[in-house]
Amino acid sequence: MSPFGKAIHLLPLIVGALTLLGVPWLWSAQARRTLGDPAVITGWWLFGVFVLLGAFNARKKLSVLPLGRASAWLRLHVAGGFLAIALFWLHTRSLWPTGAHRQALAAAFYLLSASGIVGWLLQRTYPRQLADTGLEIIYEHIPAEIARLRNAADQLVLDTTRDAGNDTLARHYMETLHWFFRRPRFFINHAFFGSKHARAWVRQQCGVVRPYLGAVERERLESLAALAEEKLQIDFHHAAQSIMKRWLLVHLPLAAVTTILVVWHVLLVHAYGR
Amino acid sequence: MTNESSTHRPQRWDTPFGPGLSDAEIDQVIARPEFASIRAERFPAHMPLREILRNDTRIVRLDPGELIVREGDYGNSAFVILAGKARVVLAPGLPSELLGRHKTSQKGWWQTISQLWQNRRIPELRSNRRGPVPKASGDTGFEPRLFVQDIPVALDKHRTAVLEEGAIFGELAALGRVPRTTSMFAATLIELLEIRWQGLREIRRHDEGWRKRIDERYRANALQSHLLASPLFAKLDEATLAIIAAGTLFETYGSFDWHVTYKQLQRQQTPADEPVIARQGDHTDGLLLVRAGFARVVSTLGSAERTLTYLGVGEHHGLEELHEAWKSGAPRPLGTSLKAVGYVDVLRVPTALLEKHVFPAMAMPENRFAAQTARPLAEDGFMEWIVAERLMNGPRAMLIDLDRCTRCDDCVRACAATHDGNPRFTRQGKVFDHWQVTHACMHCVDPVCLIGCPTGAIHRSPQDGTVVINDSTCVGCSTCANSCPYDNIVMVAIRDGSAGVHRDSADGQPILKATKCDLCAEQATGPACVQACPHDALQRIDFRQLKGFQGLES
Repeated sequence: MSPFGKAIHLLPLIVGALTLLGVPWLWSAQARRTLGDPAVITGWWLFGVFVLLGAFNARKKLSVLPLGRASAWLRLHVAGGFLAIALFWLHTRSLWPTGAHRQALAAAFYLLSASGIVGWLLQRTYPRQLADTGLEIIYEHIPAEIARLRNAADQLVLDTTRDAGNDTLARHYMETLHWFFRRPRFFINHAFFGSKHARAWVRQQCGVVRPYLGAVERERLESLAALAEEKLQIDFHHAAQSIMKRWLLVHLPLAAVTTILVVWHVLLVHAYGR
Repeated sequence: MTNESSTHRPQRWDTPFGPGLSDAEIDQVIARPEFASIRAERFPAHMPLREILRNDTRIVRLDPGELIVREGDYGNSAFVILAGKARVVLAPGLPSELLGRHKTSQKGWWQTISQLWQNRRIPELRSNRRGPVPKASGDTGFEPRLFVQDIPVALDKHRTAVLEEGAIFGELAALGRVPRTTSMFAATLIELLEIRWQGLREIRRHDEGWRKRIDERYRANALQSHLLASPLFAKLDEATLAIIAAGTLFETYGSFDWHVTYKQLQRQQTPADEPVIARQGDHTDGLLLVRAGFARVVSTLGSAERTLTYLGVGEHHGLEELHEAWKSGAPRPLGTSLKAVGYVDVLRVPTALLEKHVFPAMAMPENRFAAQTARPLAEDGFMEWIVAERLMNGPRAMLIDLDRCTRCDDCVRACAATHDGNPRFTRQGKVFDHWQVTHACMHCVDPVCLIGCPTGAIHRSPQDGTVVINDSTCVGCSTCANSCPYDNIVMVAIRDGSAGVHRDSADGQPILKATKCDLCAEQATGPACVQACPHDALQRIDFRQLKGFQGLES
């Protein structure tokens, strides 16, 4: 789609967001001029946007109902999230409010917003990197795939020891690469640093033993390195898919905490605020 | 074992095609000239002729004007006129409004909403009771009792021919897995013997006379209808068309059961091993028209062959060279080769007939493969991939853009929520670049899964041609799942209200049912998987319309 086409595609969303922000801004300005309470207007408006944001999760659970495409809901959710931040500042008229309860609410809200933005960025970044590996694997199948690679590596080393009559490669394997094949490794490096250290570690382990190997063993080492390369790809899938699945375990509890604090805030304001 | 239940394993003829012919009716049918020559002793003991007639046929009585078959419907049965007359509508067919077409019934608002509390918690829950005998194991269109809406208009404006008592028709669609090519309606009060394709297959297999008759009629009907459907011959008068039909050759390349060896072929067969229909550089003796299946157009490049495109039903090869040779008076060799992909039926229209009856009234055809030949080699991968994987067979394939997919499985969960708590696809499949074709039913142009279903439980939907499974008539034999070349049909063990597996009372084995994507035909949402994807990564596409992925990028 051309940039112009994209702009046209997003036009309703942009107009909607500007309206949702502009109306309470004008309304609260009017209230301020007439000695009303603009915080009530922006507060309830913000509450409405908050409910809308939560509705996205409900939409995911109600897939049998014709509620529109989830992709449209996600666009609305992302735009609504940014709108909520602006509305929050309009409501509090500061970046950091006073009072313990309000500060707790602000902290929860900021953390919720940050987790949402981070999650959104991760979802825009990781899929392409995963596709670029040339490997596609379902998350739940990763342990089985690692077990398959481990068994293949173990067997390769055993065969090499038998065929070459020498356990140099086997000894080195047990001291280094066996640890690597046992389970997903280098999680942080795969997740945030492009797998460079993990790949360098494997290269180092293969390189350090090569001078001590005979022709047969060297050939087998190349096969072992190929298995290790496949394992690196799977490890990256494990790290990236884990993060894409688990960031919601941060975002959703924060949403729950924020919701509780918001409800408590509304009760407090209406009980003691006037 | 306490929470498991025993039941009777469904058998081949548990669900007869109709109410079942009585012995007297079977005797009458066998005495008719169409059946008298059949030698019953040639049928195996487990598949006697009388039982085939009893279980795989039914007698249907229709009023004048009532539709027997509709053009475009996917029929699974053939007919014999026992009494009365029928009219067949010659091309061009009747318009939709005269044929009384109706849309697939989707769930209403209340039905849709009530799924929220009515959907079962136990996956693949089925009642222990045997389901009701279905009206038909297929889609003959009889249940709605459709009439041609305005018979005088139909007769005035459309050419028709009369079929008399004893005529056999419908076998082309029944055996060829193709849509009905014409509409037929009762001209008088009519009595028909309808034979579902499983029965027709058995009779054809065990009786030489019927085999010859069906094959001859199959060839003749295919020839006529396909010549008429091609724009090259559409304007010809009936007499000229008959001359061309008489001279046209009917050829078959590849194996009819291509799906059986597909995976093996995929590993072993290179394009060079495919049967050659026409070779680049040769002088062709006729125009090639694809009648069924697919063929690939290839040209030599270096020491290998390059796939330029593929041809499907109705597309032709060699026209440009033949026309140019006729125009210039000098022979022109073929610029490309044509090779069978799996199984292909081809019509060869002789050059002399084209030069005499078609070319004089025809403008110079454009070179249809020029654009493909000029295409950068870097773009060839896509075409090679879809032909190698037979993806052009899929008009509703599920394609995932892996650059967008977050592997969240919302699509899988949505599918499960709309299908007995169990998804009808797996998010795995063939990958090209960053595109994945998942294991979801593609509702193939050539649905080989239909071959061999003993009860016709898997069939074409009459409404939109999607391939669907009638759960109540599925006997769980796994034939369709084994036939599917793409592994898109899954056998599941069904469960009772206590989540126990239904087991066969005879051998204790689980009762299985075939399951696959049905495009959420009953759901108001359409395919739930597409609706549920938050990143627009998933779409259903027609590979026949797709000549590259460029149009999919957004």
